[in-house]
Amino acid sequence: MPSKKTGRLYIRKKLPFEVYEINLMNADDTELQIISRETGVGLSLDEMKAVQQYFKRRGRNPTDVELQTIGQTWSEHCFHKTFKGTIIFGDKEIESLFKTYIFKVTKELNPKWCFSVFEDNAGIIHFHGDYCVAVKVETHNHPSAIEPFGGAATGVGGVIRDILGVWADPIACTDVLCFGPLDFPYEKLPTGVKHPRYVYRGVTAGIGCYGNNMGIPTLNGAIRFDESYTGNVVVYCGCIGIVPLNKFQRQAEKGNVIVLAGGKTGRDGIHGVTFASAELTEESEEVSRPAVQIANPIQEEKLKRAILQIRDRKLASAITDLGGGGISCAVSETAYRFGLGASVELEKVPLKYGGLAPWEIYVSESQERMLLAVPRNHLKKVLEVFEDEDVEATPIGVYTDDGLIRVYYQSENVAEVEVSFLFNPPKAIRRAVWVPPRFEEPEFPEPKDLTSTLLNLLASPNIASKENVIRTYDHEVKGNTVLKPLHGELAGPNDAAVIKPLDDSWKGIAISCGINPNYGKIDAYWMAASNIEEAIRNNVAVGGTRIALLDNFTWGNPEKPDRLGSLVRACQACYDFAKAFETPFISGKDSLYNESPFGPVTPTLLITAVGIVEDVRNIVSMDIKAPNGLIYIVGETFQELGGSEYYVLNGFIGNSVPKVRAPQARRIIRGIQTAIEQGLIKACHDVSEGGLGVALAEMAFSGGYGVEIDLARVPVRDIIRNDFILFSESNGRFLVEVSEKSREEFESIMRGTPYGLIGIVTQSQHFCIRGLKGETVIDVSIRELMQSWKFGLEGGGSVK
Amino acid sequence: MKREEIRVLLMRVGGTNCDKETQRAFLELGAQADVFHINQIMRDKEKFLEYDALVFPGGFSYGDYVRAGAIWAKWIIAKLGREIKRFIAEEKPIIGICNGFQVLVEMGVLPAFNGISEHPEAALATNFPPGYNCRWVYIRHENHGNCVFTRRIAKNMVLRIPVAHSEGRFTFPKERENVCLERLIENDQLVFRYCHSDGKPAENVYPANPNGSFYDIAGICNREGTVLGLMPHPERAFYWWQQPDWTKRKFLPQYGDGKLILEGMLRYLEQKF
Amino acid sequence: MMFKARVEVTLKKGHIDPEGETTARLLKELGYDVKSVNVSKVFNIILKADSNEEAEAQVEEMCRRLLANPTKDNYIYSVEEVE
Repeated sequence: MPSKKTGRLYIRKKLPFEVYEINLMNADDTELQIISRETGVGLSLDEMKAVQQYFKRRGRNPTDVELQTIGQTWSEHCFHKTFKGTIIFGDKEIESLFKTYIFKVTKELNPKWCFSVFEDNAGIIHFHGDYCVAVKVETHNHPSAIEPFGGAATGVGGVIRDILGVWADPIACTDVLCFGPLDFPYEKLPTGVKHPRYVYRGVTAGIGCYGNNMGIPTLNGAIRFDESYTGNVVVYCGCIGIVPLNKFQRQAEKGNVIVLAGGKTGRDGIHGVTFASAELTEESEEVSRPAVQIANPIQEEKLKRAILQIRDRKLASAITDLGGGGISCAVSETAYRFGLGASVELEKVPLKYGGLAPWEIYVSESQERMLLAVPRNHLKKVLEVFEDEDVEATPIGVYTDDGLIRVYYQSENVAEVEVSFLFNPPKAIRRAVWVPPRFEEPEFPEPKDLTSTLLNLLASPNIASKENVIRTYDHEVKGNTVLKPLHGELAGPNDAAVIKPLDDSWKGIAISCGINPNYGKIDAYWMAASNIEEAIRNNVAVGGTRIALLDNFTWGNPEKPDRLGSLVRACQACYDFAKAFETPFISGKDSLYNESPFGPVTPTLLITAVGIVEDVRNIVSMDIKAPNGLIYIVGETFQELGGSEYYVLNGFIGNSVPKVRAPQARRIIRGIQTAIEQGLIKACHDVSEGGLGVALAEMAFSGGYGVEIDLARVPVRDIIRNDFILFSESNGRFLVEVSEKSREEFESIMRGTPYGLIGIVTQSQHFCIRGLKGETVIDVSIRELMQSWKFGLEGGGSVK
Repeated sequence: MKREEIRVLLMRVGGTNCDKETQRAFLELGAQADVFHINQIMRDKEKFLEYDALVFPGGFSYGDYVRAGAIWAKWIIAKLGREIKRFIAEEKPIIGICNGFQVLVEMGVLPAFNGISEHPEAALATNFPPGYNCRWVYIRHENHGNCVFTRRIAKNMVLRIPVAHSEGRFTFPKERENVCLERLIENDQLVFRYCHSDGKPAENVYPANPNGSFYDIAGICNREGTVLGLMPHPERAFYWWQQPDWTKRKFLPQYGDGKLILEGMLRYLEQKF
Repeated sequence: MMFKARVEVTLKKGHIDPEGETTARLLKELGYDVKSVNVSKVFNIILKADSNEEAEAQVEEMCRRLLANPTKDNYIYSVEEVE
């Protein structure tokens, strides 16, 4: 806040409470920047000038409430300036990454089953009859870096509110987490950066705490490790909900009462938004603590119960969650959306403690709050529902039809801004360059002992079982989980989770993800392409069809052209491949400015896939089922080991990043979908990190049987080494078990795609692989493989 | 009474979260089942006594603050104590699942060696190994016929049902551990113990015993056999498709093992009333 | 009169303390020569009563009724008058 020197920039209003007039009218450029910094609004000079001009036209200075409102609405977190702004990329000028690449896919595909995409706080698609599925994935990186438990927990809470914010009943959560290496040397940690192990424990506990307490199963996820996450933990939280369309109310009108429901408002999270849009520095810890919110999942569980009753009785006309920017953003977004204005009385907001200035009340990000628009004749009933659930709910204002946001405190008008101005910030113009990094393609001889290589790969952090984390998440609550993240007695890694959300239908929802930051180090374009295909493959492997995608970007500072260059590359791939696979994007979110004393986070794109399973009785798990089953690989193996776990294990990155060959991959995916539908596939597993070798091992030890495999039968392109065939991470491949009696039918479906019958399931416990010359290259018991996999990560799965 | 006349009341409070799936199971079994928030019940206590069976579902009542189940338990004793006592005296069945089991123990309704106790006679302490744990376990039926819920389940039958909790380690006062256990067995109040898939007792080996429970205890009933509390979730092992290995099996039974326990309660009501 | 009570609920001897054991293990990992850790729970309560004795009696009752489970918990408390 203001120092003595700059005191003249702020004029205390003569009121019985604390409101300042910000002396913008006469401020020069330097002073504008000082104001932006001192008030913490985090606006650029251009933006401050736009604010100045607006108030000059109105002939007065803004109040702190007004400036803070504008700062919140225009923040990267709320407005996505980078994705909506202009980017100069080489000789190209890109008008909005979002419109040019992401939304364009959906617009061009224009599927009938998309009900509402990129409009609300969650993507909504048709599911069954009147029922729609709502999906949203959020990032909560910065708060989790400062306070891992609270940051992660409130991340989950926030995304659940996004789902409640479209009247949907949250039925499943997902989480994808990226940490620094757990064995990172303590002495190398800069001040203010927490050890990855501490962050890992805190974040996973926070995720579990929220979902478990709310009774929402956490079904799908991934955990990745990379040095660049050491100062920049990445926390993706997703939520899936279900909503009957005949109960979906979205028509706020003039005169509707603004009802604030849920937790009380305190200073928590003040400036969380602007904080998420700035780099983490050494001081972040000290400065930003108040920006971290405190989680209360039971409060949200009660809130959920009340909201679903209000939905079912159609008592409210609109709903929105309170997230970044608090009441200020929720009110003005609702007003903007329905072409309204609003009048808010801040003193009515229930507070945790006294002493909050009006602007603090208006932008506070206290958790577990929702905002409803309620027709006057329903107000009493709405308040009764909340009371019955022990939830506080308060009318705090009313929607008007004049397009103005008016804020009062004790009857004094403390803010008056036009909605149209709030939602028209000056466009950001940024420059982007992309210089392909050069990593040498390594040369090393084929190791003699591939058994130990496979065991090491299974134990490597990115591949090893995450059982000791997954078991701390309740994945069974609600009793609708048909395919669990850990499969069966032996807890194998299923490619996707499946839930059956309706009691009277066999239809299911398959949830999967794709993330491989290693590829992004070579080229973010092929990383994005691979992630899209992997998310789709994972979904298809269990029986998913009609797949929709969500994109979540975690990148460094977009004001630095190289960071932005790789972001543009990734977006280009998003268009090219989502279009090619005919999988529309239905929702997404970006988190930029992920920088720490270690530098930027490695470009990280999470693709979440949501598929429909027509009949859950047909789904396929990844474990091999019975001796004498035939094992096929479908798809070709190329010499593509750039960014592979095998190269990483040997200390290399390499350059030969896996490509996506969409036409062939599409044919394969269609074949697999048909074969699953016809019940011809006994087991199916996606081939990705660790390649064929790891995928086969997982299928074998999860099923409890051995296999005999012949590498000479694997369809390859230009590979003459056993290790490369086993560990290449080429896209477009599935491993499939088919019984002898289905052989002909399966092969006739797959005709025209590259596939190979590479071996059989054996009664023995031996995992035997013969090389190109017929020699045995791997011979190990499945028990040993499983031990490596289960105990690879911090001592493993069955003992915590 | 007839199956369709049976009225089951599932009580909930802020933080209860397994009520819907438990209700669904009772409805599937042909009984009537209502879920009510305690605020609704308090408005009409008389109505409470019209129900034939009472269920405390799983969840985190009141956030499990202080101790799991403790706040709700004390609240019920204070506000509905008389009604609950009458309910038990009439030999109407009460089942507590997971958080519900914790509530019944904190209420003194289980094990209730000498009738409802003023202070808890047992505890469901924090798991060992520590932390929340969601997994399928095997439990062996140990009761000789006293427990009305499991009369039709053969002695020593192994059931497969999931647990999901962080405070489920069944504990007696240390100095009276063995005395209490003897009484539990003598009174035929021991109902389920964690075991291996072949029925051998877990003998406190993780993960067969998922929480370090004394004597592998997973579920107990009161002296009269009409109140049952257990940590595993029968409602999550109700349908065949909820089972962990169903994609592997060729022939699937229509239902999971959890059904036996819930249906046992309804059969008792059919015969008794 | 207003009183401030501080109630500490600890585990009785002989009961294992998984949280304490885990914390001890982590602290050892961090290089501290830790012998053991016991976790207890503290409740700070502000209450109204007519006298110190009455306040103590109330707090005693709170412990017995809710804050401790005698199967595994001990409790100690102190009560002082506040403004």
